Amino acid sequence: MVGGKNASLGEMLRAGIRVPPGFAVTTHSYVEFITEAGVVEEISKILAAVNPDDVTSLDDAGTRIRKLMDKAPMPPAIANAVSEAYALLCKKCQVKELPVAVRSSATAEDLPGASFAGQQDTFLWVRGSRELLEKVKLCMSSLFTPRAISYRMKMGFPHEKVLISVGVQKIVDARAAGVMFTINPVNGDPSKVVIEGNWGLGETVVSGAVTPDKFVVDKVVFEINERITSSKTIECKYEAGKGVIHCDVPLAQQNISCLEDKEIIELVKVAKQIEDHYGSPQDIEWAIEKHKPFPFNIFILQSRPETIWSQKKKEPLLGKKTAYELLMEKALSRVKISS
Amino acid sequence: MAKENRFSHAREVKIPKELEGWEEMYPSHRLFSAERREWEDTQFWYQDKIHAPEPMPPLDEIFHQAWQISLAQHTTRIFCIPPAQGIAQRMVGCYMYICAITPPPEEVIKEKAELFPKRTFPVFDNYDRLWDQWLPKFQALGRELEAVKVPEELPRYMPDFDSGTTLPSVSPAQELLEAFNNSVNIMYRGWQYHFNLLNLTYLAYLMFADVARKLFPGISESAIGKMVAGAEVSMFRPEEELCRLARLAHAEPKVANILKTDRPAASKIESLREIDAGRHWLEEVDRIKDPWFYVSCGSGWFHHEGAWYNKLDVPFGYIKSYLERLDKGEKIERSLSAIAEARDALVNEYRKLIKTDEDRKSFGDAYKNVRSIYRYAEDHLFWVEHWFHAIWWDKMREFAKLFVKHGVLKDVEEFFMFNRLEVPYLIEDLATSWALGENIPTLKWSDKAQKRKKILEAAAKWMPPPALGVPPEVVAEPFTVMLWGITTDKVQDWLAGVAVRPEEVTELKGFASSAGVAEGKARVLKLLEEIGTLEPEEIMVVGNTNPAWAPVFSKIKACVTDIGGLTCHGAIVSREYGLPAVTGTGTATSVIKTGDIIRVDGDRGVVTIVKRAKS
Repeated sequence: MVGGKNASLGEMLRAGIRVPPGFAVTTHSYVEFITEAGVVEEISKILAAVNPDDVTSLDDAGTRIRKLMDKAPMPPAIANAVSEAYALLCKKCQVKELPVAVRSSATAEDLPGASFAGQQDTFLWVRGSRELLEKVKLCMSSLFTPRAISYRMKMGFPHEKVLISVGVQKIVDARAAGVMFTINPVNGDPSKVVIEGNWGLGETVVSGAVTPDKFVVDKVVFEINERITSSKTIECKYEAGKGVIHCDVPLAQQNISCLEDKEIIELVKVAKQIEDHYGSPQDIEWAIEKHKPFPFNIFILQSRPETIWSQKKKEPLLGKKTAYELLMEKALSRVKISS
Repeated sequence: MAKENRFSHAREVKIPKELEGWEEMYPSHRLFSAERREWEDTQFWYQDKIHAPEPMPPLDEIFHQAWQISLAQHTTRIFCIPPAQGIAQRMVGCYMYICAITPPPEEVIKEKAELFPKRTFPVFDNYDRLWDQWLPKFQALGRELEAVKVPEELPRYMPDFDSGTTLPSVSPAQELLEAFNNSVNIMYRGWQYHFNLLNLTYLAYLMFADVARKLFPGISESAIGKMVAGAEVSMFRPEEELCRLARLAHAEPKVANILKTDRPAASKIESLREIDAGRHWLEEVDRIKDPWFYVSCGSGWFHHEGAWYNKLDVPFGYIKSYLERLDKGEKIERSLSAIAEARDALVNEYRKLIKTDEDRKSFGDAYKNVRSIYRYAEDHLFWVEHWFHAIWWDKMREFAKLFVKHGVLKDVEEFFMFNRLEVPYLIEDLATSWALGENIPTLKWSDKAQKRKKILEAAAKWMPPPALGVPPEVVAEPFTVMLWGITTDKVQDWLAGVAVRPEEVTELKGFASSAGVAEGKARVLKLLEEIGTLEPEEIMVVGNTNPAWAPVFSKIKACVTDIGGLTCHGAIVSREYGLPAVTGTGTATSVIKTGDIIRVDGDRGVVTIVKRAKS
């Protein structure tokens, strides 16, 4: 009904994780939208003619479908429901025209293993009912970007089985943000949480626009084992009238850690909680809200299963040895001193 | 100066001229020598700051002579750790250097590899039973040393005896000689016992550390230490007894009031004797004094350190601060069961993270192995380095008093200026003079002692090089790796650091022994006795710490040591108190000055000198 990502946010909310407040527009609303607009058949026709190996053909199909959807009116029932939910959210947060993030989340309920991560659009700092409705629609039509179309065709997923929902979430005005893994992605060490972060919004970390600060933390004893403070020259922030922009980090801030120790430890605690909840290593997006006091400033924006180490075959690392075999091995070993 | 890849050889070290004559203070086989040069030059020697952070008084050097043999033989001839050889020692300018000898030829390693499992595995299987043998055996030895009878004087004439029925007995001079030889023999034997189970304890720890690192590649040594450390060991007992005595006193306001004054312990005892409750309390002190007040005020390695029972100002000072905390309603005891529970919870959490059943089994097995024996690392320390050494020092003072009485030495302190092979000369010289008749001179031993005291004073001001000779390719000796923490990085840092003047250093690297970061004023304690100068919230910078210091850790902000790995005492207690600690920096006490503002990063093992104190 709400797509993997949105469902996960709802689940985390119920598990007591600090997730920014928001609501979701369901896949059902999406179906209602394209049905009432009467574009379903036309879309199918365009898609049937696409050659997945031809970039021009993909581009052309994408543009045509998205134009079709942009022109189509949103059914009043959906538009009203979205506006009402938004008004409620504004009231709850006590902010008029609350800035929100609008993210799409694709889903294919009967296609297990399908991952559509990163294929759909995200809009940040959306303010007011009118702009919100516009972005909701754009999110829905992002199901038909050339990349998304091509992916489904290559994977053999029927287009009509893949639906989209839209998540609307209060924006976290981030002082710093980034990602974290509940396993060390470098070596698969399950006892670590690895945090990467930069000043401002998390986009620079996700996209690799800067070398972020990096912290490797032991999640059992909460010791920070590794701490790399990078030279962070660029950050992403929101500026009224301009939207989300990349800008230079003030010189004095470039080489300062974007997280305080207590924030690092709090993030690790939350990461452990999320991992325990899902029972598998996670890849988590986080942000530190500018205007709130610690620890109420820590927010989780998203969590998804870590895929690389989790899917590896688990081989014993100690070669099934007993204590005495291990002791013998150690007794025979030498420590290399000079290189 | 060091060449690129080696340190100076001992003979190239420039020893200050104030130390002239230092060589004669130690037995000749303890020095670098021309006839062994070929072998000595190929070895790598580094200063042993754990056991010998200070210039070595000649008599105090006996323990080192004893451990050199015992440690090595347990490794090479008894338990046969295949590639490991012993640790050799040499004295240079009153400081001790040690060397982990490079592995033996491959065929020897093969031979030892056959013997090793046969001899060691049963030890782990039966540790508790072996410990139950060890403790009474060791305690009996201590009592034997205590019972050695030292004559108070050589009398003008032998006492009357029935010369018609009895032959003359041996003279007190002969008894004196035998008593000293007996004491030395007992001491050597005690150090034989010391290593009965220790080498395997360290090996098991290193094995478990390897296992933990394979499963959790980035795991810190401090986390490994937390998993292994014991809580129910003898080293905790002295502190527990202090807490108990403080509680008893707290229940008797009159007793507490006397103990809370700022007077010396002797004067407090006088006042306590005047009241019933005070006498009862003192009886309780007497009851537990042996063994629990036989904990050294230092490391147990130096004669001048004293122990709680003969420096009562130290434990009484701790009791005073415990009473003040009790007045504030604070809890003074450390909950040992809570420490143990927290440790078990930690181990379980790591265990749960292991991905395969096979690894979980190996980990559990390895952990059981190290836990079965690890308490020896702490238990033996109390009984040997503290209790036994305290008895030894007392015994030596008995001998010293006799020499003072006969005017051969001016004070007790002078006796410690002679090494254990020289003391028999003193005894024989005195015995000869006594036997020969009236006014027969002895050599001027006191003059010699005074000269040596001056040499030691000069040596205390000298900063000897951290290492000598050629760094080896590999080290297999478990003590070197674990206790002294000799690693590639450390050796390279030493090599790089040789040319840098201490006042130019701004950063020191060591082991990240206890997590956290703290900034504050440094208090450098060079001699273990200076502990009293420490003020609250300062960062303690020391050569090395030991269990008698435990109560100090509630006062300080962080701890930095010259020497010691992740399981050295300073590391263990810092973790317990949640204080940042960096151990094994090599040179902290010479580079950092009291009053410097320093930052201790216990997460990374780095100490930064933020601001130098005005000199």
